[in-house]
Amino acid sequence: MKIKEGFMLREIADSWVVVPVGKRVVEFNGLISLSESGALLWQKLENGAAEEDLLKSMLHEYEIEEDAALADIRDFIRTLDEKGLFE
Amino acid sequence: MGTSWVQLSETLTGRAKEKRIPLMGQFELTSRCNLQCKMCYVNNSASDIQAISRERSAKEWIQLAEDAGRAGMLYLLLTGGEVFLRQDFREIYGEISLMGFNTHIYTNGTLITPEIASWLGQRPPSQIEISLYGMSPDTYGKVSGFTWGYERALRGIDLLRSQGINLKLRMTLVQGNIHDSERFAEFAQERGLEFGYVKYISPRREGCNTYPEAERLSPELLAEFEMNLDKHFGFEEPKQFEHFALGKALDASPFDEWNVESCDPFYCTAGKCSFWSTWDGKLTPCSLLDSPAAFPFENGFLKAWSALQALCSSIPVCGKCSECPLLQECWTCPARLKNETGFFDKPAPYLCELAQRIHGNLKAAQKL
Ligand code: SF4
Ligand code: SF4
Repeated sequence: MKIKEGFMLREIADSWVVVPVGKRVVEFNGLISLSESGALLWQKLENGAAEEDLLKSMLHEYEIEEDAALADIRDFIRTLDEKGLFE
Repeated sequence: MGTSWVQLSETLTGRAKEKRIPLMGQFELTSRCNLQCKMCYVNNSASDIQAISRERSAKEWIQLAEDAGRAGMLYLLLTGGEVFLRQDFREIYGEISLMGFNTHIYTNGTLITPEIASWLGQRPPSQIEISLYGMSPDTYGKVSGFTWGYERALRGIDLLRSQGINLKLRMTLVQGNIHDSERFAEFAQERGLEFGYVKYISPRREGCNTYPEAERLSPELLAEFEMNLDKHFGFEEPKQFEHFALGKALDASPFDEWNVESCDPFYCTAGKCSFWSTWDGKLTPCSLLDSPAAFPFENGFLKAWSALQALCSSIPVCGKCSECPLLQECWTCPARLKNETGFFDKPAPYLCELAQRIHGNLKAAQKL
């Protein structure tokens, strides 16, 4: 899974915000707000990552049960997918 | 990812205000305009050589955007004058559109060609706001000086629409076009566009050939207009466009958040998390002010931004306003007082009369 080109993840005023740039504004005119763990997943997905890579990073970064982490990851991926953000 | 755009903007604005992060930047790329509206607060003629020579270069604006972005700028307004008069607008916008800002552009739309529209369509800003000065060549000409502007503005609107660009229309209310308000609202509705109006016209900010005070509505007329928006626009209430800095949080009375005791005259975001960069390179709290000013092109953005904070904190609060029983109905603010009276802390007769009229109208309608 890889996020489409043309999105920029920015940390502003202690928030994580994704901004579409250039041509991407045509199909996505708005901002996406991400939690800290969302931003972590986003960064991985910018370069392309599989579910197990994401899980590994989540478990490495946060004290969280594997099941809960996996549920969060699937949730996150579903939302991105619904918004058409994957290549 | 559940937060809506509005919620996100509010959260960011609140936090940025508190932490003095320059979240909203406004770049006035030029003071020149191809129209000559008499109510404009900054307007040099299109070919004014002196003005051209004092404009900052494309490279400088791009650098400023980069530096402000690093300091936390997320929302960026590109405005003028008329931005499309700049030969290097594409160079500036082309770069800036890739930097990760939520960008808006203000324009009168008359210089939009099919080529520019399609170029913008490939890298659209989040929104373009087009000012319309009248709903007939005659009215448009009386207000802006050029009757041909009307057809050209309409063409500009349709060209940008055909590219799917998110457009908003705005009307600047003056004596010469107030009779067109209903037609304006109808036009916006026919085109399926959001619309708003600029209700407060400030005396001019810097020396140029305009005289806004002679064009703006009298306090009586303006108060009446405000009271009867449904009548004047024919249907739904439009959004008010004060300006970019306030536009993000205009719903509540601005004074709800204003703490008079704090000795801070600004209830808005000016100088706290928003800034204005004038065409000749000053960093000021907002569009209406050319002082206090810091100098980002000479001293770097970060230094200028903190200098601006210090300068803003020495602006006095108007004692009379802060104790005034009409404060809730009044449109007072430091920038308006300064432009109206020459002082930050002197009540402005125009605003006082307006507040009295608004208060009187609300009382008569028993809304108070
Ligand atoms: S400008 Fe006049 S009416 Fe408005 S708050 Fe100040 S003193 Fe009162
Ligand atoms: S100082 Fe006045 S004009 Fe300037 S941004 Fe604030 S409310 Fe608006």
